[in-house]
Amino acid sequence: MSFDYKDYAGRYLRINLTDGKIKKEPLSKWMAKDYIGGTGFTAKILWDEIKPETNPLGLENKLVIATGPATGAFAPSSGRYMMAAKSPLTDIWGESHCGGHFGPELKYAGYDMIIFYGRSEKPVYLCIDDDWVELKDASHLWGKNTRETTRQIRDEVGDETSRVSCIGLAGENLVRYASVMTDYYRSAGRTGMGAVMGSKNLKAIVVRGTKDVEVADPEKYVEVMEEILWRNTEGPWAKAAQDSLGTYGTTNLVDLVNAIGRLPTKNHWTGYYEDAEKTGPEVIRSGYRIARDSCFSCLIQCKYMSNVDAGPYAGTFSGGPEYESIFALGSNCLVNDIEAVMHANMLCNLYGMDTISAGKCISFAMECYEQGLLSKEEVDGLDLKWGNAEAMTNLIHKIARRNGFGDLLAEGVRRASGKIGKGSERFAMHVKGLEISGQDGRAHKSSGCTHAISVRGADHLRSLSCIDEQGFYDIAVERFGANRAKEVCNLLSEKYKGYIVKDQEDLFAIVDSVLMCKYGTMWPPMYYFDFIAKLLPPLTGIKEYSNVKNLRLTAERICNLRRCFNLREGITRKDETLPSRFTEEPMPSGPAKGQVCSLEPMLKEYYGARGWDNATGLPFRETLEKLGLKDVAGCLESKGKVLRKGE
Amino acid sequence: MDTKKILIIDPEKCTNCRICELVCSFYHNKSFNPRRSRISVLRDDEKGISIPMACQQCDTPLCQEACPAEAIYRHEATGAMLIDYNKCIGCNLCVAACPFGGVCIDPLTMKVIKCDFCDGNAWCAKYCPRKAIEYVRADKVGIARKKAGAERISGLMSLIVKE
Repeated sequence: MSFDYKDYAGRYLRINLTDGKIKKEPLSKWMAKDYIGGTGFTAKILWDEIKPETNPLGLENKLVIATGPATGAFAPSSGRYMMAAKSPLTDIWGESHCGGHFGPELKYAGYDMIIFYGRSEKPVYLCIDDDWVELKDASHLWGKNTRETTRQIRDEVGDETSRVSCIGLAGENLVRYASVMTDYYRSAGRTGMGAVMGSKNLKAIVVRGTKDVEVADPEKYVEVMEEILWRNTEGPWAKAAQDSLGTYGTTNLVDLVNAIGRLPTKNHWTGYYEDAEKTGPEVIRSGYRIARDSCFSCLIQCKYMSNVDAGPYAGTFSGGPEYESIFALGSNCLVNDIEAVMHANMLCNLYGMDTISAGKCISFAMECYEQGLLSKEEVDGLDLKWGNAEAMTNLIHKIARRNGFGDLLAEGVRRASGKIGKGSERFAMHVKGLEISGQDGRAHKSSGCTHAISVRGADHLRSLSCIDEQGFYDIAVERFGANRAKEVCNLLSEKYKGYIVKDQEDLFAIVDSVLMCKYGTMWPPMYYFDFIAKLLPPLTGIKEYSNVKNLRLTAERICNLRRCFNLREGITRKDETLPSRFTEEPMPSGPAKGQVCSLEPMLKEYYGARGWDNATGLPFRETLEKLGLKDVAGCLESKGKVLRKGE
Repeated sequence: MDTKKILIIDPEKCTNCRICELVCSFYHNKSFNPRRSRISVLRDDEKGISIPMACQQCDTPLCQEACPAEAIYRHEATGAMLIDYNKCIGCNLCVAACPFGGVCIDPLTMKVIKCDFCDGNAWCAKYCPRKAIEYVRADKVGIARKKAGAERISGLMSLIVKE
């Protein structure tokens, strides 16, 4: 296989699940050059191939699995892959990223991407062994949890080093926030990619690869490898990364964000949890942590495994829980029993279900119950009072199996509140249908803007900034200028935050395309555009990317195209907002007491920086044309969704 | 010979990032491919146990004894057992003879490959972020291992004293 650029496999798989036909197609050179990989590739494919108003759980929706140029090479935290499809939870752009070893294995098998469409008549799994690609019957696996499925598929293919991504019961039952689990404990959690797999009767993908990932300039690349090693072991951010993520994993965030009053507590009622320490890093490390784990090619190695020896949750054993799971199933539901959180986390992993959305659905039900909007009968006789861990784990079983009241919560908070009515919308913590991740825009203003503008709904991983969160003044000077740095670092001020969010969104679009981990990139801020400009040319041979300007243009192209996908689906400026809890209810307690999130000034900066119109939230034709998205502009213009400057 | 270096592997520190496999394949082939690496992390994904395995460069190398073509020899400077591909007949008896899986077959060339200490550079050790693999002078290994053992014991001792 010869492709113009090195490092790419140069071909991808197109799989029609309806008739079982499998095609190997060559990757186009311009795809690599204009969209790099990962989220960039999928933005182009979803825009081109999914018609507006496609049913996310229907035959026409496409599920794309993509790798990037860093996948399979020694690059910072690069053992990743991503999935994208129209989301059944939000009905807009859906994407989810995942660590582990699956992505590199797919590259070694010789594929940059897999595109699934149609629906298989009976359950199947896709089996890839280098050039041999086959759909196999999965009827005997239907109904099995993600652990049993992974174990059994590895057994069937006869290679325990093969990599499995699969769904559990939640995906089979089309829970709208079902996840895809990889290598037992890594999860592509958000926006319901597991439900898309379930709707296609696709239980799993198993891959084994033995091909080389070639490098354009091996001698030059050795210098890059040396720099990666230096940055992660001796460089200015090495110690910070090892002391936090390296030592505790993301559990360290429980302490750090509670200290700034941003730990979502009681369904985002407040951002400060008195009992945070009980679910915090030291408790986990000293009492439950049994092994440290790592994704492929990572020098941070934040992953870990935990085990509960005794008590009502004895036998609980899983990867994590990570910060987002701890807050969603802990402080968010006022559950201060870490063993219960660990148990709930394990259940979500086994069922294949996003812990954030699951936790948020449960806290939504708890608040409705407290407010008298749901009676005990309506919730199957459960006592849904705050902090009732037993009710919480009960609900997880019910949601994944769509039993009784769980059937309603399996729809996500937006749909559930629509059905309940009675003003319950106030307690549905979502943006664009995606349940809000573990930040609070009242205590960390830029995170409010991040949640509001994020292309997949309320989520941190498209543009969260740690520069203001952790007060990295020198980085603020470097990236935004000395005159702005002080204000940039003030996490309670809205000023300049629209610019930071735009800059981070661009950076993350590149990182999500090159396909590295955002935690290895930005927390602490170890890697930026300048490094990617050193990494890509010797790796791929795409010389244009030695210029940061070209990288930034591609970042904007990707961000704009994803946003245009949402515009075409009917998203408008009024959807780019936050629940009134953040904008109208002052923070009742903690370090950010009295704060609300004032979105408008940040949105104005953000739209301005993006080259979109602030009043309407629509792009200018000039902006899209400058990025080579003329056809996109044309398509949107016919629907009245593009402006010309001066109009 | 007194400065001979060997690879010391501590499975307790290994987290299965497999950077050793990546850089090993890159050193030898100028491309990335863990399945062509001479060191491999054996892994139980479910339980989270990782054990990096590579050639032990034995004093009594069974691979060498098994080789009918006398293609395996010891490199004087590094002490590594090397394969002379001009002599190798591809019978794979060395693969079968090694009790550690230290000799393996390159899936692309189908030739036998084994650790050669990267000609004295040992990239697996250099790039290991946890120092689970170290390339150290043989005469210093004993005391280093004793020290690690002592730390473990002193931890246990303090537990006993507390009780």
